[in-house]
Amino acid sequence: MTAVESQVMARVESQVIRQRRKPVAPYLLVGAPIVVLLAGMGYPFIQQIITSFQGFGMAQQFGAPAEFVGFQNYLNIFADPRFISVLWRSLLFCAITSLLIVGLGLLVALLMRAVHTWVKVVIQVTLLLAWATPVIASATVFRWLFNDRTGVVNYLLVRLGFDGMAGYAWFSRPFTFFVVAVALIVWMGVPFVAMSLYAGLTQVPDEILEAAKIDGASANQILWRIIMPLVKPVMAIVLLLQLIWNLRVFAQIRLLQDGGAPVSDTNLLGNFIFELGMGRHNFGQAAAVSIIVLLLTILISAPYVRQLMKEDAA
Amino acid sequence: MKRTRLAAVAASAMTIALALSACGNGDTASPDTPAPETTAPEADAPETEAPEVDGVTITMWVAGADTPQELRDWLIENFAAQNPGATLVIEEQGWGDLVPQLTTALPDPNNTPDVVEIGNTQAPTFTSVGAFRPISDALFQELGGSALLPSFVEAGTHDGQIYALPYYFGSRYMFYRSDIWTEAGLSVPSTLGEFTESAAALRTGSMSGFAIGGQDWRNGISWVFAHDGDLARFEDGAWVSTLSDPNTVAGLTAWQELFTSASNLPATDRDVAYWDFINDGVDGEPPLAATIMAPGWARWSIGPLNEAGDGRENMADFPEMFDIFALPGVNGGIAPVFAGGSNVAISAQSQHPELAENLLRLIFSADYQRMLGANGLGPANENYADSMGDDKFARTMIETAFASRLTPAAPGWAAIEGALVYEELFQAIAEGGDVAAIAAEFDARLTPMLNGN
Repeated sequence: MTAVESQVMARVESQVIRQRRKPVAPYLLVGAPIVVLLAGMGYPFIQQIITSFQGFGMAQQFGAPAEFVGFQNYLNIFADPRFISVLWRSLLFCAITSLLIVGLGLLVALLMRAVHTWVKVVIQVTLLLAWATPVIASATVFRWLFNDRTGVVNYLLVRLGFDGMAGYAWFSRPFTFFVVAVALIVWMGVPFVAMSLYAGLTQVPDEILEAAKIDGASANQILWRIIMPLVKPVMAIVLLLQLIWNLRVFAQIRLLQDGGAPVSDTNLLGNFIFELGMGRHNFGQAAAVSIIVLLLTILISAPYVRQLMKEDAA
Repeated sequence: MKRTRLAAVAASAMTIALALSACGNGDTASPDTPAPETTAPEADAPETEAPEVDGVTITMWVAGADTPQELRDWLIENFAAQNPGATLVIEEQGWGDLVPQLTTALPDPNNTPDVVEIGNTQAPTFTSVGAFRPISDALFQELGGSALLPSFVEAGTHDGQIYALPYYFGSRYMFYRSDIWTEAGLSVPSTLGEFTESAAALRTGSMSGFAIGGQDWRNGISWVFAHDGDLARFEDGAWVSTLSDPNTVAGLTAWQELFTSASNLPATDRDVAYWDFINDGVDGEPPLAATIMAPGWARWSIGPLNEAGDGRENMADFPEMFDIFALPGVNGGIAPVFAGGSNVAISAQSQHPELAENLLRLIFSADYQRMLGANGLGPANENYADSMGDDKFARTMIETAFASRLTPAAPGWAAIEGALVYEELFQAIAEGGDVAAIAAEFDARLTPMLNGN
């Protein structure tokens, strides 16, 4: 047995011994979150599934026995043309906002890498402030900005010579409503993405970049051939999170609608569920739509999760 | 719900305490009413104190800012005085969130508010599912009986059992710029058609003749009522949406003509702060509207700027600039408008129903009813209507209130409001569509919803 071999053997032995000891800490660390998750999410989730198979309305909420209706709630949902249009609208909205947020976030992150330190600090503070603004405050500010009579946006547009924009009601047409809604979501979403991607960019080793420069790579080549592949995992995760978050947008749309809007033409899935449940008191169908959204989220994120697991394994 | 002996003792103590204090100020609605049947006869109640309610807190939910702080303070103070040891907490819920909040809180004995205010149009949704504690005949009589606004009592009744009582009523009328109307050679219209003509004539590019948002159905349905139309009827055991009835279509068409010819507001605007439109701007800009329709309390926000520039003068002192009239009927007289207002009820899950009933006794006391009237809220008990005063505001308010109508008392009405269906209906009409076709489309959507499906 050589010296090296004996060292290896010793290491293997010590590992075996360590495994035999069965320390408690890992189990506690894993167990506690599982208990919290089961209690906090498992119970409502199971209730949700049960409710989605019941005729559950106002009377049941106040104690009447709920009747099992099988897949009737689901069948009714898919037979409802309003659900189908809400579904497509939500998917489109989710795709547009997520791509915009990740794209703009990447630009801001690259900008932060390129600028002087104190400019970077200013940008970071600004991003954090935008990110820390509560949803209600942001939505209210956007409503004021785009108000038809007193909004700054219309005022500036008129000053710039667009006289037709005087008193323009942004929230009265679904298209312009969503222009404002996308702007709001993007404004609230970019800071997180920019910070995450910037953190990813700082992990790109300077030596590689220097080597590339010495080898005569152009700035473009460095960006696309070196930096982008290295931050790709971070981008994938950030994009996945954006897709999940933007599919379940609710409060922003609801708050903008409160200013007066064509409601059923601007509802997204979250608002549709709220309207079904809290508006129409059809809790059974609302639960069914929630389950559909959950399945949809799993469907959208599955390829990403698989990809991420592959990369982890590699 | 089981009542323990302890609660019974507390209840009788409460009743006696209340009876004593009621006799003391001799001002309560009916001080000599016999103790209600909830008093357990075997309970030997102490006469001075009720230690059993020590530390007990009951909660009342009021909706929006409508109940002035002065009235809330009065309730809290007098409740504490009449129920030693017990405390009343008043929490305000936003009108927009009221129904969802009630839907989740009322069924839960641990979190339910004990007494709740609820919009008169929302009450049927809750009375029909047993969310409220029945009001016994004895209590109903004690609190005012037949003197309480009948249409609101009806809104709070299900299957012959009263669950919710009137809290206050409101009414709406027209506020107009008398200076602008006079300058244009127009006088107060005597028919609804004349009003539309005048409002259309007053409209300019920057000023609405009559400012109304396209989605503002709460004002808009007055035109349906004025044409003797119904929104829905109860036929053969089920509710039917009746927007396609000729009278209803006539009313909706008249409103469409008014909106398109006289209002500059977007078709998506709801019940906005119209008083901003009728006042001059803060830098003396001309007003954005010559006429608005608003609840009576809007008067406190209307008037010329005061000299300090930090508030508005009382419009009553400037009749040559601001004045009011009741919406005229199709053939003269007064048009029935939509009566705003609230009901009040006890949660079926309240853990202290005796204390909750005591709170109702305070709300329906003469003092409180008069305070409502003095603050421009129509008192639930008609005997105190005179507390609103007898100036033109009070007269117009009472006139219009007596001619007013309510939305259908259908179990699904709150769901219709919650899903903003009437907002969409009126927006579609305001955008100039074919009224009969829109009415037919919405009838099909509304009929199942009215019945809670």
